Amino acid sequence: MLRIKYFGVMAEVARCDEEKLALKDKSFSSLISALHEKYAIYNLPVQVAVNRKIRKQNENFNLEENDEIAVLPPFSGG
Amino acid sequence: MIMQRYQKQISLPQVGKQGQEKLKNSKVLVIGVGGLGCAVLPYLVSAGIGNIGLVDGDRVDKSNLQRQVLFREKSVGKFKVTEARKQLYALNSEVKIENYSEFLSGENAPELIKNYDLLVDCTDSLAVRYLINDACVLTEKSFIYASVYKFEFQVSVFNYKNGPTYRCLFPDEKAEVQNCEEAGVLGTSVGLAGMFQAGEVLKILLGTGEILSGKLLLYNTLFNRQEVFEFAKDDSLKIDKEFYERQHQQFFSEEIYADEINENAFFLDVREAYEQPKMDFPTMLEIPFSKLENELCRLNPEDEILVFCQSGKRSLAALKILKTYNFKNVKSISGGVRALQQLKEVVV
Repeated sequence: MLRIKYFGVMAEVARCDEEKLALKDKSFSSLISALHEKYAIYNLPVQVAVNRKIRKQNENFNLEENDEIAVLPPFSGG
Repeated sequence: MIMQRYQKQISLPQVGKQGQEKLKNSKVLVIGVGGLGCAVLPYLVSAGIGNIGLVDGDRVDKSNLQRQVLFREKSVGKFKVTEARKQLYALNSEVKIENYSEFLSGENAPELIKNYDLLVDCTDSLAVRYLINDACVLTEKSFIYASVYKFEFQVSVFNYKNGPTYRCLFPDEKAEVQNCEEAGVLGTSVGLAGMFQAGEVLKILLGTGEILSGKLLLYNTLFNRQEVFEFAKDDSLKIDKEFYERQHQQFFSEEIYADEINENAFFLDVREAYEQPKMDFPTMLEIPFSKLENELCRLNPEDEILVFCQSGKRSLAALKILKTYNFKNVKSISGGVRALQQLKEVVV
C-alpha cells in the first residue's frame, strides 16, 4: 500500500489529507494515471513527491512498498 | 551604541560584530507589504539590515488589519508603503528605507531589483511570482518565497547560488481559475510564514546555517506538522533576456486604441472603487487590480474582454494575469479612461 498525502487545495479535491492506495503495478507512471483517474491531476498544476523528493511526472521508475507520496499544489496567498 | 543595540544577536557566534556589519551593509527588497510583508519587515528592520526597499502600489483596506499588523486603524485608505515606513522608522531610525508605491511589472522589475542584494517575495499572486523569478534570474539575485493556503504555508529560496528557481518547482503551466470563495486565513499562519522568510534572509546575509535552496518547506499550523521536500534544478529551462521580454514585456501588440473599441465587448475596469470618472459600458465589471487574481471566476475566459484603468498601465499588468489564467481574447485599452474621455469629447 502506498501512503498518499495531499496538501493545500489538493486536500480539498481529494476530500482528505491522506489516504492509502493499492496499485496493480509498481511503476511511478501507473501511480500518476491512478491519481489522474481519481482527481484529474493533469488539469492541476501539482507536483508529486516520492519519499520527499519531487519527481517529474514523466519519470520512469518503480515504487517500493510503503513509499510515501505527496501531491503538492502551488499556493498563492500572502 | 550600535553594538549595545544589537548585543543579543552579536553574542551569537554565528553573528558576531562581523555579521552585524554585514547586515548593516546589506540591501533587501521586500515585494508586497501585506500579511507576509508586515511579518517580515519589523524583524529585518530591528535586526539592523541597513537598506530596505518596499514595493507595493496598494492602499490599506479595513479588511487588512486582521493580519497586516504594521497598519493602524487610521492607516485605512493610505498607501501601504508609506504607512509601513512610519512604523518601521519608529522601530529603527538607523535603517534606510526606500519606498516604491507601485506594483511590480515587467517594465520596472529589473531596474528596481538590480540595486538590492536579496529579494523577499511577499506577494499573493502567481503571475507576479513568475515575474519575480525571471527578473531574479536575469539580474542574478536570490529570492525568499513564502505563500499561504488557509492553515498551510510553503517556504523556499530560489535562484540561490545558481540553484533551482520557482519554474523548476512549478513550471509555468497555465494555472486554473480558482473558485471565488475567498480562502480565508488566520493572521498567525501568515505571520509564521513571514518569520521563516525573515529567518532565511538573515541566514543568507550572515552566511550561516542551511538555506532552503532546492527545498520546499511545508508547514501545517492546524496540526503543527512540518515537512521538507527536495526538488532539482531543471536545466532544460532557459530564462534569458529574450524569454523575459516575451513573458513579461511584449504586451503592446495586445493594446487597442480607444477609437477602435467594440462597444459590445465585455469591459473590465481594474481601477480602485474611488477612482473617477466612472465609465458606463453596456456590459462591464469593476474588479480592482489588487483583487483581480482572486475574483477571476467572475469573468468568462471565452469572452472578448477589454481591460482599462486610468492611464493604461495597470490594465497591461492585468492582461498578464488574465493570460496566465488562459484568457484568450483580451486587450488593454491604450491610454485608459483618459483616452476614452478625450474621444468622447471629440465625438460630442
